[in-house]
Amino acid sequence: MSTLHLGGVAVYQQQHCLLQPLDLTLYPGEALTVLGESGSGKSLLAHAIMGTLPAGLRASGELRQDSQAWPLADAANRRALWGAQLAILPQEPATALDPTMRVLPQVAEGWRGAAKLAHTEAHSLLGRLGLHAAQRHYPHQLSGGMAQRVAFAAATLGGASLLLADEPSKGLDSQACATLAQLLQQHLASGQCLLTITNDIALARALGGQVLVMRGGEVVEHGPASQVLQQPRHTYTQQLLAAEPQAWPTIPHPAAGDWLLQGRSLGKAYGSQTLFQNVDIDIAAGERVALLAHSGAGKSTLGNILLGLTRADHGSVRYRDGLPRTAWQKLYQDPVQAFAPHISLHTALHDVLQHCGQPVASLETLLHRLRLSPDLLARKPSQVSGGELQRLALIRTLLLQPALLFADEPTSRLDPLTQQDTVHCLLDELARIGCALLLVTHDHALASKSTSRQLRW
Amino acid sequence: MTYLALLPWHRRLAWLLLALVLLLAIAGPWLWPDPARQDLMQFLASPSLAEPLGRDQLGRSVMARVASATRLSLGLAALCVLSAALLGSLLGVLSAWRGGLTDTVLRGVADGVLALPGLLIVLIFSAMAKGGFLTLYLGLALAQWVEYFRMTRARSRLVLASPHVEASRLLGFGPGYIVRRHLWPELSPMLLTMASFGMATAILALSTLGYVGVGLQPPAAELGLMMTEALPHYSEAPRLVLAPVAVLALTLAALVLLRPLEVTR
Repeated sequence: MSTLHLGGVAVYQQQHCLLQPLDLTLYPGEALTVLGESGSGKSLLAHAIMGTLPAGLRASGELRQDSQAWPLADAANRRALWGAQLAILPQEPATALDPTMRVLPQVAEGWRGAAKLAHTEAHSLLGRLGLHAAQRHYPHQLSGGMAQRVAFAAATLGGASLLLADEPSKGLDSQACATLAQLLQQHLASGQCLLTITNDIALARALGGQVLVMRGGEVVEHGPASQVLQQPRHTYTQQLLAAEPQAWPTIPHPAAGDWLLQGRSLGKAYGSQTLFQNVDIDIAAGERVALLAHSGAGKSTLGNILLGLTRADHGSVRYRDGLPRTAWQKLYQDPVQAFAPHISLHTALHDVLQHCGQPVASLETLLHRLRLSPDLLARKPSQVSGGELQRLALIRTLLLQPALLFADEPTSRLDPLTQQDTVHCLLDELARIGCALLLVTHDHALASKSTSRQLRW
Repeated sequence: MTYLALLPWHRRLAWLLLALVLLLAIAGPWLWPDPARQDLMQFLASPSLAEPLGRDQLGRSVMARVASATRLSLGLAALCVLSAALLGSLLGVLSAWRGGLTDTVLRGVADGVLALPGLLIVLIFSAMAKGGFLTLYLGLALAQWVEYFRMTRARSRLVLASPHVEASRLLGFGPGYIVRRHLWPELSPMLLTMASFGMATAILALSTLGYVGVGLQPPAAELGLMMTEALPHYSEAPRLVLAPVAVLALTLAALVLLRPLEVTR
């Protein structure tokens, strides 16, 4: 395996430069990690290398290996390299896998050559990844971490010398993230090249090698991981590192008041699979509680039961008297899915104002406090960034003066800077109206910083 | 004009064709008033300035008959599609919303109707009361509502189970709001597409029944019936057959080309 050079890689939309020219060298066995917030152009880099840029964007620069060179401007010239030389580990494997194919044949497709050999190879690779039992499963039967391993198997079966991992840890819990880091390490150990694009600093730290920090289509810092992640020189890198929940300063939590909600001996099962049994939970007014567990443990289900959205199999929930039905609100993991897709945000928020009889001024005050431009409201939910939309979703619930806000992994899809910003807005606003918070997360650091009490199982 | 210029060519063509057919249906019967008036002296008279399509085997004005038949076909088809769409989508939303027994019963009825071919239902109805306008309408509408029911039900179930509907319910909004803001924007493009295809199906079914003689009865002017009546005279006056065929073909082409923009996400 030999060194890969990328010379002058840039991406343009007409005359507008989205990714400034940059030179990279990928050494076999050494990880290269691109860090940056969403919208910094880091995914464009992966697509420019693969030749899969969306229509309307063009790349320049070239990819060199040994004496061969492939100009990036021609997207088609690298198609012959797909699978054998270049492979991509896509974002959100649960949606990238073909839902109608079983795991084994799906992975075997990555092998060029005899079908029988492909099956043997796929079989042994899946076995090594601990997926022996899941070979005959369909993607919807897999957990997020398993789907990620299947996608990894499918991407690497062809033996590609360069693996591009595009936000591979998005939506995975900490356990699955650790497994993913191991897989990528193994890939490197076999002498291949790896380019990881992520906003997960923990993953960058685990992979080591070189780190590249990007912002607004430009490289702001480049160096060995140990140096960039320990002694960052650029202020942006420093901000990025300080945005990790571990690095947050301690947040003061308001004192808990009277009881608000009591769940007693709650139990829920889906079919033969028991999610939880005999769970007792109390939440007091103004209190901040976190539910911590790995994905698939039923923590979102428990939250939904407390809100009355899902019926429990056993047990009961008691609410304090005198509170309206709208005092129990929820913040969703994916804010885009929490807004009616065809309705402008202006209409959606003004409907709420009208419905709860609040003056328009209260919306304007909230927009101002959460640093959101009123111009955003003219857009549809899908045209606003995740962090902004999550804050708009927060505003929508705050208009109803809730007593308890159930936040279901509200920041797991946001990059660290946006996460920090969103969580601080959330805590400030809840403290202002004395609303309690039930936070569901798999991030221990986030839970211990933003809540005063953590429940784990 | 600006709106037309934005449309892809095939939809511009479709609107033009549809405008022509509508013009024929609306202005035609006013210019050539009586489709049934016979004048045997003018048996198969050739086209003239006053009668652009000439006269048929009974000396009736072909233009008047074509115009009247077009009006009838378009009117009846629109009525059928409107009723079928209304009934089907209301029941579809109801079924998705209520679930349980309501859903089971409605789905059973719909599957039962679906098991019979659409044209057969219309034939059964026509056989019960030969050639009546009302029976044709009922038959066509009953054959078509299942499509709307099934599509609306499937799509509504997805929408109603989505987080954004749950969020609206938590915010205290009632069923009216959910229909207006969540369901209607999702369903309307699909319903419009189905309605334009449904119009084409209804027009074709109507003329098929006329052609085989179980639809509307003479002396009514109906496209299918006109073709049957004119066939014996095809060698002397092919225009008698070609006129209704041309109207039918143009109408169907316009409706199929008209399909609204694909639902894009």
